[in-house]
Amino acid sequence: MLSNYFKIAIAVLKRRKFFTFISLFGISFTLTILIVITSFIDHLVDPGYPDANRNRSLYVQRMESSDPKKGWSRSGPVSFHFYDKYVRSLKKPELVSFQSMPSPTVTYINNRKLSLDVKYVNADFWNVYTFSFIEGKPFSAEQLARSEKLAVITDKTSMDYFGTTQGVVGKTITTDNEDYTVAGVVKAGPITDIPSYGELYLPYTLMKGDFKGTTLNGSFLLTLLARSENEVDAVKEEYAAMVKRIPPQDKEYTKISSEADPFLASFARPILGGDHSDGMTKLTGFVVAFFLLFLLLPTINLVNINVSRIMERSSEIAVRKAFGASSRILAVQFIVENLILTFIGGVLGLLFSLLVIWVINTTELIPGGVLTMNYKVLGLSFVICMIFGLLSGVYPAWRMSKLQVVRALKMAQ
Amino acid sequence: MLAHYFKLIWNRKRQNFLLFIEILVAFLVVFGVFSSIVYYYNNYKRPMGFDYNNVWTITFKNHQTGTEKKDSLIMLYEAIRNRVEALPEVEAMTYTSENAPFTMNTNGTDVKKGTIEIMADDYTMDEYYSKVLKPEVLEGSWFSSRDNGRKLPPVVLNETSKEKLFPEGGAVGKKVTVSGTEKEVIGVIRDLKDKGDYNAPFKAVYSKPDSGFYNWVSVAMIRVSPSADAAFESRLYKTLSGLFKGASIEIEHLSEKRVVKNGITVVPLIIWFVVAGFLIVNVALGLFGVLWYNISLRRQEIGLRRAIGATSGDVSRQVVTETLVLSALSLILGGFFAVQFPLLHLFDLPSGVYVTAIFLAMAFILLLVMLCAVYPGKVAAGIQPAVALHED
Repeated sequence: MLSNYFKIAIAVLKRRKFFTFISLFGISFTLTILIVITSFIDHLVDPGYPDANRNRSLYVQRMESSDPKKGWSRSGPVSFHFYDKYVRSLKKPELVSFQSMPSPTVTYINNRKLSLDVKYVNADFWNVYTFSFIEGKPFSAEQLARSEKLAVITDKTSMDYFGTTQGVVGKTITTDNEDYTVAGVVKAGPITDIPSYGELYLPYTLMKGDFKGTTLNGSFLLTLLARSENEVDAVKEEYAAMVKRIPPQDKEYTKISSEADPFLASFARPILGGDHSDGMTKLTGFVVAFFLLFLLLPTINLVNINVSRIMERSSEIAVRKAFGASSRILAVQFIVENLILTFIGGVLGLLFSLLVIWVINTTELIPGGVLTMNYKVLGLSFVICMIFGLLSGVYPAWRMSKLQVVRALKMAQ
Repeated sequence: MLAHYFKLIWNRKRQNFLLFIEILVAFLVVFGVFSSIVYYYNNYKRPMGFDYNNVWTITFKNHQTGTEKKDSLIMLYEAIRNRVEALPEVEAMTYTSENAPFTMNTNGTDVKKGTIEIMADDYTMDEYYSKVLKPEVLEGSWFSSRDNGRKLPPVVLNETSKEKLFPEGGAVGKKVTVSGTEKEVIGVIRDLKDKGDYNAPFKAVYSKPDSGFYNWVSVAMIRVSPSADAAFESRLYKTLSGLFKGASIEIEHLSEKRVVKNGITVVPLIIWFVVAGFLIVNVALGLFGVLWYNISLRRQEIGLRRAIGATSGDVSRQVVTETLVLSALSLILGGFFAVQFPLLHLFDLPSGVYVTAIFLAMAFILLLVMLCAVYPGKVAAGIQPAVALHED
């Protein structure tokens, strides 16, 4: 039966080449755009390198001190004091990585300016994030405690500064008028992954700013690593309980809120959520709405063309109906045919997407980032493709099944 | 005749309904595109209001001044300025708040005058700012050393905030309250597009440093001579490292920062235009196909028309006009939706932008539909009455 449908579908496609071209163009380009966007979102949410443990990590990006009565609030990353006094006492996480927001520093090499994004980290940062070391090794907790002037640099930084990535361990890198000894060279991660991105990693004990203050707001992010995926919720609860116990810091700010969230939620919360929601529902709503709106026009377009094409086949429909085929069978047949058409368009779209992604990667549009076509993106595009096929097939099929045999035969003369 | 077309469209309402919806959605997409084009083009057209060429920003974080006293701080920063301005390549130097041109930083404040209250961007700087950025003074004057003799602290407004606070004109010499402090307006300057070329007009007030300013200042700007090169920049960096004790220093060029800042606006726009462009091409192809197909369904009708005396020109005109009438119906409904934007002040764009965009989008859609209908119209005109009627 299916192979029959397939034969008919191919025959119909060959009949009116121009219509086939329009349909395939619409389907394949719509899917190309959606696949590339999906791949980009996937890259933002889960690039894989250097954060391989994302499914059992929780992220802290927001510390809000506020006075609900007066409406004052101050919100941003956390301070060393907060980490030192409160976060260290947590029992549940296996490891806690503590890292500053990347901030630019400048160095001049033979009158050439080189701007490097510095990230100050603790020793566990190197255990939470699985960077691959081209050479050398990270600084240890002891070296960090002794404030040794060590630096881990990315391969890109190494190329820019030394002109090579080989044999630079032990050499001196100077930035901001300070000399650091290179301890290791790592493969650079994507610039879009704020918690792990940096071009020069330094022990936090070398931070120039005074990290002895007692405010809770600072310039640091936290990554809490649970022992397993099942323990993520327990870590989240322990963190929430710990924040609840913090006494108000000063008269002006009486309420303190901070949450350990899964990666995406940690970004969504400050923008779309707040104290009571992590903003994920809103974010998902926006993304779904965007995809549906975007699919609307190509779908209407395809429905339009399909309706026209069906009327062309009224003779075939009329004959089959006259010989006793039910409306339902005809409708199913048409929907299946349409799915086959969409599927062909989908395959073309996939090829186009591979091309676009290859172009984006070779031109390095995203510094340090590589877009991939993994099974997640593929699966999702397949689903989108099917939805698209169903949406554009149902209405014309319904129209067709309603055709009166007599009228259809007359039209078909 | 038009009534007749309406009847024809009505008789085929089921086929036409889908076309109607498609044109409607396409119109809304095009309306969105034109709204952003008109809005950003209007902003782009406005003058910059200052000269960003040969201006460098110096950021010095964690400067260890070793004193909290206001007088000693002023002395210290004055001494640094004299040392820097003594360099032959430097023409002028100014200390400003962190919201320097083309940065991501903004400071807001409330400004009151009588019953009028506005939120404005709040800039703080010393009097040398005008030598560095060369803002265009429209009324009154910029800050100068004579300001110390005034009873009230001076403030300079930009055009947009002046129009909001003094709609009747004549701002110079009047009093305004900036975040609770009464100040005297001494001048009005042209809006500075310091957030990038596509920066919309925004209310701004410029104030001189208050007593706390030198405790937290971390940004300076210098105007350099065109001959200042990378070698000079490297030397300047060393000089500054000696002057700002313990600070981490960054030197940036405004001309480069402007490109980055513009990119943040332009890149998403380009992506959006590419996507919209693809949608429009898709719609055009679909329309073309459907119209062409509809003609082949109406061969008998057209044959009959020709038989009773319609010329081929009449027939092709009829096809195009019918499609245009259908689009016009779609656009009336689409226009109704689009008009809600200026009426409800959605997205905070000026109403004029929306109105222009509505007209441009309507013209664009009508043109597109006409292009799509011309070829099917020609096909229809070529139908021979004898052949078409014989088929029936």
